[in-house]
Amino acid sequence: MRRVILAVTGTIAGLVALLSFKSHAPSLSAAATSGTGAGSSSSSSSSSVPGEFPTGSQAASLSAGETALTGQVADTVYGPVQVQLILRNTKIIKVAVLQQPTNTIHDIQIGEFAFPELISETLKAQSAKIDTVSGASYTSQGYIQSLQSALDHGR
Amino acid sequence: MTGGARPGRLRHAEPVMGTVVSFDVPAWAGPALEDAVRWLHWVDATFSPYRDDSDVSRFGRGSLTLAECAPELAEVLAACADVGARSGGYFTTTPGGRFDPSGYVKGWAIERAAAMLTAAGSAEHSVNGGGDIQCVGDHGPGQPWRVGIADPLRPGCLALVVAGRDFAVATSGVAERGPHIINPHTGRPASGLASVTVVGARLAAADAYATAAFAMGPGARDWLESLDGYEAFAITPDGATWQTTAFRAYLG
Amino acid sequence: MTSLTRQSVPARHAGADAYPGPRQGPRAPRSQGVPHAGPQAHGPVRPPSVPDRKDFGQVSARPVLTVIVLGAAAVIGLWWYSAPAVRGLGGWLTGAGEILGLLAGYGVVVLVALMARLPPLERGIGTDQLARWHAMGGRYVVSVIVAHGLLIVWGYAVQAHTTVVSESATLLTQYPDVLMATVAGFLLLGVGIVSMRAVRRRLRYDTWYYLHLYTYLAIALAFSHQFAVGQSFINNLAARFWWSAMYLTVAVLVLWYRVAVPLRAFARHGYTVIGVKSEGPGVISVYIGGKHLDELAAEPGQFFRWRFLTRALWWSSHPYSLSAAPGTDVLRITVKDIGDHSRALSRLRPGTRVIAEGPYGAFTAGPPGRGVLLLAGGVGITPLRAMFSTLPGPVTLIYRASREQDIVFRDELDAIAAARGATVYYLVGSRAEIGGDPLSPKMLRSLVPGLEQQEAYVCGPSGMISAAVRALRAAGVPRRQIHFESFEF
Repeated sequence: MRRVILAVTGTIAGLVALLSFKSHAPSLSAAATSGTGAGSSSSSSSSSVPGEFPTGSQAASLSAGETALTGQVADTVYGPVQVQLILRNTKIIKVAVLQQPTNTIHDIQIGEFAFPELISETLKAQSAKIDTVSGASYTSQGYIQSLQSALDHGR
Repeated sequence: MTGGARPGRLRHAEPVMGTVVSFDVPAWAGPALEDAVRWLHWVDATFSPYRDDSDVSRFGRGSLTLAECAPELAEVLAACADVGARSGGYFTTTPGGRFDPSGYVKGWAIERAAAMLTAAGSAEHSVNGGGDIQCVGDHGPGQPWRVGIADPLRPGCLALVVAGRDFAVATSGVAERGPHIINPHTGRPASGLASVTVVGARLAAADAYATAAFAMGPGARDWLESLDGYEAFAITPDGATWQTTAFRAYLG
Repeated sequence: MTSLTRQSVPARHAGADAYPGPRQGPRAPRSQGVPHAGPQAHGPVRPPSVPDRKDFGQVSARPVLTVIVLGAAAVIGLWWYSAPAVRGLGGWLTGAGEILGLLAGYGVVVLVALMARLPPLERGIGTDQLARWHAMGGRYVVSVIVAHGLLIVWGYAVQAHTTVVSESATLLTQYPDVLMATVAGFLLLGVGIVSMRAVRRRLRYDTWYYLHLYTYLAIALAFSHQFAVGQSFINNLAARFWWSAMYLTVAVLVLWYRVAVPLRAFARHGYTVIGVKSEGPGVISVYIGGKHLDELAAEPGQFFRWRFLTRALWWSSHPYSLSAAPGTDVLRITVKDIGDHSRALSRLRPGTRVIAEGPYGAFTAGPPGRGVLLLAGGVGITPLRAMFSTLPGPVTLIYRASREQDIVFRDELDAIAAARGATVYYLVGSRAEIGGDPLSPKMLRSLVPGLEQQEAYVCGPSGMISAAVRALRAAGVPRRQIHFESFEF
C-alpha cells in the first residue's frame, strides 16, 4: 500500500512539475514564413488529415486558373498559424492552413472556431481580388515574405 | 523568378534598385520585358546613391558636373525641384544632407519602364517597383486593376483595395527598414503617419507626392487635397484613416 | 532436538500453493565475490564439476533499474522537447495525458523486456524478482494508461470547446488509430484485472497464461496511435525512428529467447521422457533424457520450463526445478500431484518429446566456504534436494512439512546425508501439534550451530518463506546471507 501511495503521489508531483515549467515557457515564436513565400511550409506533416481544412503545401494541388495568397505567420496561443487562400479567378474557393502547431485533427478542431474569424477578416479586406500590392518599400528580402511575392508566383 | 499568371500573361519579379520589381505583362511581351529590365538596371547603376561609381554619387561628391552626367539626371533634378516647390520643401533631393533623388527616381524609372512596354505594343500591364505601381490599361476585359494597400500596422494584411485603369499607386510609410523618411525641416525621421498612399495618373509624381506627404505628417492632408489629379489615403499610427475627398472614386 | 528428525505425527496436509509447481526463479545470491583465498573467503571455492556461472553475462538489479529509470527520463525529455507552452485547463490536461501516454508506451516495452527470458537478467536478477517487478510495473502501467485515456479525452474536449461525450465520439470515430488504441487499453485493463490475485487464484494457470498473451495484441493495436496523434512524434522523424527501434528490438529479443532458443535447444538436445517414478503419495519424478546436456551448464537449484509434447500437454509450459544435480544425459524433476498438469505428468510415456527452456534461475550455490543451511518447506524441497547433493562443505537441511507423507525423497536425503556427513532435520507436523512454529530463532540456533556464519537457502510457499526469513534474521543471520525463492509469479 505504501508503494501505491508513493507511486501515485510521485507521478502526480512529476506531472505538475513538468507542466508548470512548460506553462511559463514562451510559446513558439512566429516562424518567419518560409523562403518561398507563397509555397509550402516546412513544418507540415505529410500525412493526410481529414477535416475541412487541408494542410500542407498546396503547390502541387493547384489546378489551372487557381492562385494562392499566403498570409504571414500569426502567433496564436497554440502556436504559429499561417493561412493561405486559394482563389479561382479571383474567387476564394478554399482556405489552406500552411502552418499549424501540429497537424492533428485536434488542432484543426481548435482551428474550426479560430479560422473562420481569420477568414472573415481577410475577406473584409477583400484581399482575395487584388492583382498587385502597394505598400511601403520593401527590400528584396522583405519581398520574399510579402503578399506581392505570392501574387507574382501565382502559387 | 518567373511564375505563372492568368492565361496569356507573363509575370516576372526582378531584384533591382534594392528592391524587387514585379511585372505583369502579356505573354508575347518577353523581349520588351527584357528591355524594361535592362532599363531598370541602368537606372540602378546610374542613380543609386549606394554605389560609389554611380552618376548620382559622383555628382553628389562633386566629381562630375551635371553636363558630364547622363542627361536623365538633369531631367530628374528639374522634376524634383518642381515637386519640392509644390510641397513647400517637404520633398527634397537632399534628405539628411546627402544628395539622394531616390524619392523621385524610383517612381520615375518604373513609370518609364511601363511606357516602354506600352511603346512595344502592350495595352495592359502593370509594373510594381517595391510597392509603387504603374498600371496601364485594364486587367482583363473590362476589369480594372485592383491594387491592395498593405496595412502598415498588421503585416501581411491589407488595409484597403483600390481599383482603376491607366493609373499609378504609390505608398510611403514605415516599412521593414524602419522609419527612413526624414522630415527635412526637423532633420529627423517623419513619424506623423504610419503610411500614406497617393493615387493618380503617373507614378513619378505620385511617388514624389507620397514621399513629401509622409515627411509632412498630419499636415499632409490639406496639401494632398490641394493637388490636382492626385488623391490620397493615409493611416495614422493608431490605426485611424483619412482620405482626400475624391479618393472615393478609386475604392474597389 | 534430533527427536524431531523422525517425528511421524500425522498432520493435516500442508497448505500447498494452488499451482502445480510453477515457481519463480530465485533471487540471486547477494554476495558475488571474485574467488580469493582465505579461510573465511567470501569467494566461491567451487567443486570443479560446477561451472563458474559468473563467466556468463549477468546483470544485477541496480544497473537494470537505473537503465529503466534513465529510459523514462529520456521519454519525458522527448515530451519536453516537443511540447508547446501549456496554457489553460485544456493544456494542462492534455499535457498530463501526453506525458502519461509516452510513459505507458515506454512502460509496456520494459514490461515485455523483463519477461523476455533474457539470460543476463534471468541469471543476475532471477525469474522471481523479474516477475515481481513485472507485476508491480504492470499494475502501474495499466493505471497510467487508464489515466492517459481519461485525461486526453477531457483535455481535448476543453480545448475544442465541446463536451467530453462529444469529444470521445470524435476521437473514436475520426481517428482510426485511436479506436484501436482504446480497444488495446481495455484489453490491458482486462488482463490487469485477471492478474489480480483474487481473480487469478480462481483460474487455472494455463487459462490465466493464455489470457495474459493478449497483452501482445494490445501493444500491437496501440502502437500506431502513438505516431498518428502523438504530439512528440508528429514532426520528429528521429523520435519515431528510435521509438520503433525500441519496440522492434524487444520484439526480436522476445522471439529469439522465447521461441527460437527453445526450439534450437530442442533440436540440439533432443529432450525425451525416459520414465516416471512415484516418490510417494501424490509425488512423482520425471526423468528426461537428452544429448549434450553438459552444454546447458545447468546447476542444482535451477529450473526449466517444460512443454511435454502430448496431445493434452503440448500447449502449456510449466516450470519445474531440477530435483537432482543435472547429469550428462538425464535431468530429473519432481512434481507434486496437485492440478491437472501434474496429474497428467504421471501418465507420461517414455519416448515423449519435450521442449525444455532453460536452465533458468539464480537460486544456485553461492559462495560456500562457510556452512550452508537449506530450509525447505513442502514442495520447496525440490531445488534444495538438488543442491543438497552437490554443495561442498558442511550442509544442514531442515525439511518442514505438515504431514509425514508430504516428505519426499526421504531415502535419498538420508543417503546423501550419510554419504557426506551432513544432517537432515525433518520438522513434521502442524503448528498445533508441535506447539508453536518450529521455525523459530531458538529452534534454528539450536539445530544449526554457528548459524550466523552460514549461508541460508530457503524454498517453499511464500508464507513459509516469510516466516523463515524473519526467524533467520532474528537468529542473527545477516540479510545478505539469506537466499530464497518465492513461488508466486
